Amino acid sequence: MSIEQLYRTRAKELLSSGEVKMVIGYGAGSNKERRRPLFITSAEECDKLVLDSACISNLSGYLLTEGLLSDEKRVAVFLRPEGVRALNVLAAEAQLDTAQIVIIGFDSPKGELKALEGSSVEEFTALITALKEITPETAGEEQLAKIEKMSPEERFLFWQEEFSKCIKCYACRQACPMCYCRRCIVDSNQPQWVNTSSHTLGNFEWNIVRAFHLSGRCVECGNCDRACPVNIPLRLINRKMAEEVLNSFNHFAGTSKTQEPVLASFKKDDSETFIL
Amino acid sequence: MTKILFADKLDSCVERWRSAGMTVIGPVQRTNSSMYDAVKSASELDLNLVLADRSIKELFFPQSEPMLRYNITKSEINTSEFLPPSGPRIIFGARACDASGLAIDDPLFGWDYKDEYWFQRRNESVIVTIACTKADEFCMCTSLKLAPDSTKGSDILLRPLENNKGWQVEELTDRGREAFKKVADLLQEGSDPAAATVSVPEKFDADACAEWLKNPENFNSHFWKEISLRCIGCGSCTYLCPTCHCFDIQDEGGSFEGIRRKNWDSCSFALFTMHTSGHNPRSTQSARWRQRIMHKFNYFPGKFSANSCSGCGRCTRECPVDMGITETLQEISKLSQ
Repeated sequence: MSIEQLYRTRAKELLSSGEVKMVIGYGAGSNKERRRPLFITSAEECDKLVLDSACISNLSGYLLTEGLLSDEKRVAVFLRPEGVRALNVLAAEAQLDTAQIVIIGFDSPKGELKALEGSSVEEFTALITALKEITPETAGEEQLAKIEKMSPEERFLFWQEEFSKCIKCYACRQACPMCYCRRCIVDSNQPQWVNTSSHTLGNFEWNIVRAFHLSGRCVECGNCDRACPVNIPLRLINRKMAEEVLNSFNHFAGTSKTQEPVLASFKKDDSETFIL
Repeated sequence: MTKILFADKLDSCVERWRSAGMTVIGPVQRTNSSMYDAVKSASELDLNLVLADRSIKELFFPQSEPMLRYNITKSEINTSEFLPPSGPRIIFGARACDASGLAIDDPLFGWDYKDEYWFQRRNESVIVTIACTKADEFCMCTSLKLAPDSTKGSDILLRPLENNKGWQVEELTDRGREAFKKVADLLQEGSDPAAATVSVPEKFDADACAEWLKNPENFNSHFWKEISLRCIGCGSCTYLCPTCHCFDIQDEGGSFEGIRRKNWDSCSFALFTMHTSGHNPRSTQSARWRQRIMHKFNYFPGKFSANSCSGCGRCTRECPVDMGITETLQEISKLSQ
């Protein structure tokens, strides 16, 4: 049986037994290459589920849809390892209770689809811990290496050109499972902390604020990068920040649901005088 | 015999227009993204694109535009206006959907208050559209009663030659004739046949959709929630759309000194309709998606007798979750049967 068939059956069982009220998965998209998020609430619809290596997007953000989890019923969701990491971060930040989530795990290293064992975040701990070790080497971006070699002036020009394209559609924010703030700082206008204009300064402000806010939280699922309609290589920023956080604090976002947030925790005996 | 502009003469045309003081603009590739932008020579143009990623609208209605500078002192309030940058422009290589989009928005920007920023640019721009000989699966102009060679909003229509060596020239407006007079000696009379325009299949019945949308019973249909479940509420569709025209006015700077700007805004954002009380009349994403469709295919045509959509398909092409107008109107077409 194909993994797709296997998971359709599993989704049917979960729904017909009443174990979950909804399955969030992937369906066919508007062309052969595309898959789209699908929300299934009855066993009969489960044959619409599609699973293959083109199912890329991280669906965990939909779990925070207003009201979805408020009845304490469970929801099943198709997740890649990054998606499971995202669940851990969201749980660590008290945004959801992982007991309400049934994971239907899969991955497609080198384009080959495989099922992942386990349905709760705890069962993925070993896998995620292993990722921590391998990520820096395997995720090495050629472009990132090029940027590292640039002088600060060249690097500024590179990002200036990229950010000048930004149209402030906030697709990066909306596609990001970590951007769950009910009111984003750019939407606050009394006072207006961040310029809403998409001139170069405003675009720098927005993208840098977002980079900092995601440091130590980003699981590098790539949702923002793929969502950007003007193709700003946002993954490079997140990759760099993840590397910094790993090197400085030995922190790999989303290893457990009780992980301390790296930029939101402090110790009284911290040697940095500005902390306390 | 028709007038023909051979491709090898295009660079001389660009030079001629530029030396006549015109800014020449066209579809270009920028870093990993295409847009309409100013060029110095024809070689910078990318005329093989189905469609630039970004629409033509930003040349007339930029994403952020300064309106006035203010300065408040104890004794007085000073303001000085920013006027739109002026100067003649020629936009070479527009697509029919983009040019039509401008014509769709003209009555909107001139309805009660005549938007001088829009019209100054409109009056100073010559739109040279090239009929499409290729399309992709997202193109839907024919569903909106337009076509790959629609002349709406264009001053010149160019039809690519079958041999790919140039274009037949159709002069549509005085403004277009004026601009092409400048390059008259670079054009030739010829009988080279034009290539067939691409056939874009009709994807939905816009009239049937309009009827369904007008029926007040359908305003509260479950359909809206179901069709928009995956919408993440970004502004990608709005900002790439050649006809979406909503904007916000923002004061940038301090209480006593700053710049008032006009910035694009989107009905997809929760903040768009947020009241100061905290109440939001469009509190769910499905209500926002409904507004987007209703505005384009019910309210706007009710006021201006045209759909606020020219079928470019960018909304679906770039949607992070593969939504868009096509799917919604296809589903409404089914419901209205």
